[in-house]
Amino acid sequence: MHQEERLMSLTLKVWRQKSPKDQGHFETYTVEKVSEHASFLEMLDQLNEQLIREKKDPIAFDHDCREGICGSCGFMINGEAHGPLKRTTVCQLHMRHFKDGETLTIEPWRAQPFTVLKDLMVDRTAFDRIIQAGGYISVDTGSAPDGNAIPIAKPKADWAFDNATCIGCGACVASCKNASAMLFLAAKVNHLVSLPQGQVEREQRVMRMVAQHDDEGFGACTSTGACEAACPKGIRLVAIAQLNRELLRAQFCYQEGSKEEGI
Amino acid sequence: MMVYGLRSYLSSTVGKKFVMGVTGLIWAGFVFLHMLGNLLIFAGPEVYNSYAHQLTSSGLIYVAEFILLGALLTHVILAIQLTLSNRAARGSQPYACTARGSKSVLLSSRTMMFHGSMLLVFLITHLMGFKFGNYYETTVNGVVMRDLHRLVVEVFSQPLAVLWYLVALVLLGVHLSHGVGSIFQSLGLKTLSNEALIKSLSWTYAIVVTLGFLSQPIYVFLMMR
Amino acid sequence: MSQRLHSQVPSGPLETKWEKHKFEMKLVNPANRRKFEIIVVGTGLAGASAAASLGELGYQVKAFCVHESPRRAHSVAAQGGINAAKNYKNDGDSVYRLFYDTIKGGDFRAREANVYRLAEISTAIIDHCVAIGVPFAREYGGLLANRSFGGAQVSRTFYARGQTGQQLLLGAYQSLMRQVDRGQVQLLTRREMLDLVVINGRARGIIVRNLLTGELERYSADAVILATGGYSNVFFLSTNAMACAVTAAWRAFKRGAFFANPCFTQIHPTCIPVHGENQSKLTLMSESLRNDGRVWVPLKKGDTRHPNDIPENERDYYLERIYPSFGNLAPRDVASRQAKYRYDEGRGVGGKEAVYLDFRDAIKRLGKAVIAERYGNLFEMYEKITGENPYEVPMRIYPAPHYTMGGLWVDYHLMSTIPGLFVAGEANFSDHGANRLGASALMQGLADGFFILPYTVGNFLANVGFNDKVSVEHDAFREAEDRTRQELKRLISIKGNTSVDAIHKKLGRLMWDYCGMSRNREGLKKAIEGVRQLRELFWNEVYVPGELNEINPELEKAARVADFLELGELMCWDALEREESCGGHFREEHQTADGEAKRNDERFCHVAAWEYRGPVEKPVRHQEELVFENVKLTTRSYK
Repeated sequence: MHQEERLMSLTLKVWRQKSPKDQGHFETYTVEKVSEHASFLEMLDQLNEQLIREKKDPIAFDHDCREGICGSCGFMINGEAHGPLKRTTVCQLHMRHFKDGETLTIEPWRAQPFTVLKDLMVDRTAFDRIIQAGGYISVDTGSAPDGNAIPIAKPKADWAFDNATCIGCGACVASCKNASAMLFLAAKVNHLVSLPQGQVEREQRVMRMVAQHDDEGFGACTSTGACEAACPKGIRLVAIAQLNRELLRAQFCYQEGSKEEGI
Repeated sequence: MMVYGLRSYLSSTVGKKFVMGVTGLIWAGFVFLHMLGNLLIFAGPEVYNSYAHQLTSSGLIYVAEFILLGALLTHVILAIQLTLSNRAARGSQPYACTARGSKSVLLSSRTMMFHGSMLLVFLITHLMGFKFGNYYETTVNGVVMRDLHRLVVEVFSQPLAVLWYLVALVLLGVHLSHGVGSIFQSLGLKTLSNEALIKSLSWTYAIVVTLGFLSQPIYVFLMMR
Repeated sequence: MSQRLHSQVPSGPLETKWEKHKFEMKLVNPANRRKFEIIVVGTGLAGASAAASLGELGYQVKAFCVHESPRRAHSVAAQGGINAAKNYKNDGDSVYRLFYDTIKGGDFRAREANVYRLAEISTAIIDHCVAIGVPFAREYGGLLANRSFGGAQVSRTFYARGQTGQQLLLGAYQSLMRQVDRGQVQLLTRREMLDLVVINGRARGIIVRNLLTGELERYSADAVILATGGYSNVFFLSTNAMACAVTAAWRAFKRGAFFANPCFTQIHPTCIPVHGENQSKLTLMSESLRNDGRVWVPLKKGDTRHPNDIPENERDYYLERIYPSFGNLAPRDVASRQAKYRYDEGRGVGGKEAVYLDFRDAIKRLGKAVIAERYGNLFEMYEKITGENPYEVPMRIYPAPHYTMGGLWVDYHLMSTIPGLFVAGEANFSDHGANRLGASALMQGLADGFFILPYTVGNFLANVGFNDKVSVEHDAFREAEDRTRQELKRLISIKGNTSVDAIHKKLGRLMWDYCGMSRNREGLKKAIEGVRQLRELFWNEVYVPGELNEINPELEKAARVADFLELGELMCWDALEREESCGGHFREEHQTADGEAKRNDERFCHVAAWEYRGPVEKPVRHQEELVFENVKLTTRSYK
């Protein structure tokens, strides 16, 4: 088109692990003629096609929308979650950001609560259980007042939205030296507590979600900021400060009488 | 399950970090005052010794020491606990690479346990060298008091001691540069609007404390030996 | 024509049908609801909202999805917004206008009563979503913001920046997780439905493959809801996610559910063009870009100059030229088709399937800051993908498959031709006719899940009662499981030399060329022949590595492609036998003198619903006549 398409060849050191119980090891592959316009996952597709031709087991990795919004994909490239580009998931990372002849080390997210299922696929269902512990507003279908009944100041709504954009990919956990899921947790707590609708269950929500976070075996936040740097959606580290305040506040404001069955 | 009630709160990751923040705050405040006191070295031996005497002769010192010791022990024990549980959370398989590009983080923030431990060792040697070190006496305005000034000059005349303080105080600065900002984070005081301010405050604080402290051994070593 | 196609549309005036019918439908006593089990397959907007609402009512729900978490369903990727007839802008919107726009936009190939109900429910969806914490865009006064979308003359689209689908899905997902927490919904993730179990003519359960262990599992229930999305991936390259498949719907089709209007597919005009052989999927650029961007191609064939070097008089702003009144805002199907014509004429950018979408004049008129404010995130996304800066070089775009209006046939209750099998969201055919309007898919998914199924499923259950239970040990379950296992084993045992993707790409190209934006008799016949040959090739030559009882993404893909290879043929048959042009279905034989779609209301004002007749025999085409009592059938004109 406007410029000639650049083709490159790459050496990939990829983590291969047959099952959660398997030890796992690195294997080295070469991919030739990778288009600079291909996404990182398309480059892996190309490698997989090559492996299938050689009757070898292709590399398993989670992926789906390939538009950076579903949160399925993600692994470490040279020690960086989702690769070198900020605010980008691997599916939106294009090969033009790499050099011809480069060697890339590709590993799955690693954390105790994220079991490696196969190759680069990990189990992130702990995130669902954290949401299950209160990451919602308990309103049944059919009982809502008019959408405009409660005005919400734009800055508040914007902050709620900024936090709500979390895609639950797990890059924050993977890049944190403590495997803490605080950024994920804080994003949801902040999203809901910034809205008037989220006030009612404010205290028990944060108290239950932090408990679940800890029960899952995630570590504590030591504010290194690795999560913020890795987050493809730009969730801010300061969200965790707000979470800390929420939990402290809840200790004083929670009224036990408000605890009903099935919350 | 809920994080509710003191016990539950204090045993949660968030609660532990809160206590780390509070105890860190106590020590961060203490080192600043300590540093200010040290600057009296420039005012001469009499002022220096009188200040030290007044400080130690009041009963409040025991309260302060009790608080400081308690905070320190809590800080250290929690640090060990958190480090162990954080390592467990990380899992047994380490990454083959660490981030070097735009997604890497400051080394200082990743190594709090390391400089923390070094500072603990330093603190013990420091107390042994001064608080429980050689006892000289002097008389200022008719009052008999400990001649701390002499001890300071004695210690900081030795190149090795100065070097050790140099290293330790730089590590203190590094620890503070991350620690002070972290206090605001753990106590939930950081917001979108004060985030940048806290970051520069944290660095300024670390640099001021470190330089203030460093001035004493360097001054003594170069000028008073 | 067929006695089996009862639309069950209630009598009475359009405006009161649903209200009246809600009263007529039977209710299940709250104490008895826990005695009913309901299976929901798919956890996108329709599935998650249905599972959550049914759980709230007290039914025992099992929700299945192929993803590791319901939050990853492809509804998450919808950008633009969700329509609702709130008339918050005081600009003349009403339930009736939304109804009318939708039915007209669908080129009069949808059921009046269904579409009216959709418009009626739309307002409640917004209320509920706000209540569960969806952070919609707001004005400075704190009230909900609206925009006009997809050429609508009123501002009725609610949005959350360019991530409306994500925010709505997360809302529905959170409601679902709340029911999981309460124990009302059992969540079964990483499970793919591979068969429907029908006993005595009634849907009684499903067979799923556990994608982590590879084991086949059986689940029985009193009713089954499919909310498994659309089938755009039959084209291989589409804006759909990689795992989007027709499999669940297709297996239901093979068990007796009719498949309606399979040829009604939507090709979205503004997607990022294909970059090369290894392209795996296409990315949509929001339609809103056409509000300020001008679409053009070089006047000269094979012009290789840099776009900025091509002078004004050598550019063909073809949408503005052909449709002076709508210009660049011509509807999706029209804009797509015109882009294809330019490529066919040899005037595609760089000889490839691409046209320019140029912001030069808009930047000149409004300034870069205003354009950045309006489209900044889209420009960023474009640059991320293509490496080109759209502030300086015109964007290159091209149409891509995006949505499928066709799907399993359902009646007014959203029940398929198999009693007890309900179908919701994109998986059913119901509300969009031959063309879907922008911001209507999210509305339909949530309407089905939150506000229709809770009533209609209840009505069905109240009628059948809770004493009639079946066990998963029933022969029908055993047979279905065996059959599924044999099929999967067969796929693995072929051990040929062609990869699944290689065949899928060939199928995609064939469907794109002959059953895409414009279709003709010859091409469709050729495509039917081609699809059959590919099916042959697939079953003899495909190579599926790995084993049945392990994580095996290639096996998952193979099973999905096997179904696409059957669906592809049915789409061509449907396109061939619908001898008219309407909405997204454009038959070259049926066009006006100036090349516009020509409907044939005499012969084709009906839904075509296909019935499966075994692996060899061609499916049988049934018709449900569409009766328009309220709107007059007109010809869409955008000149």
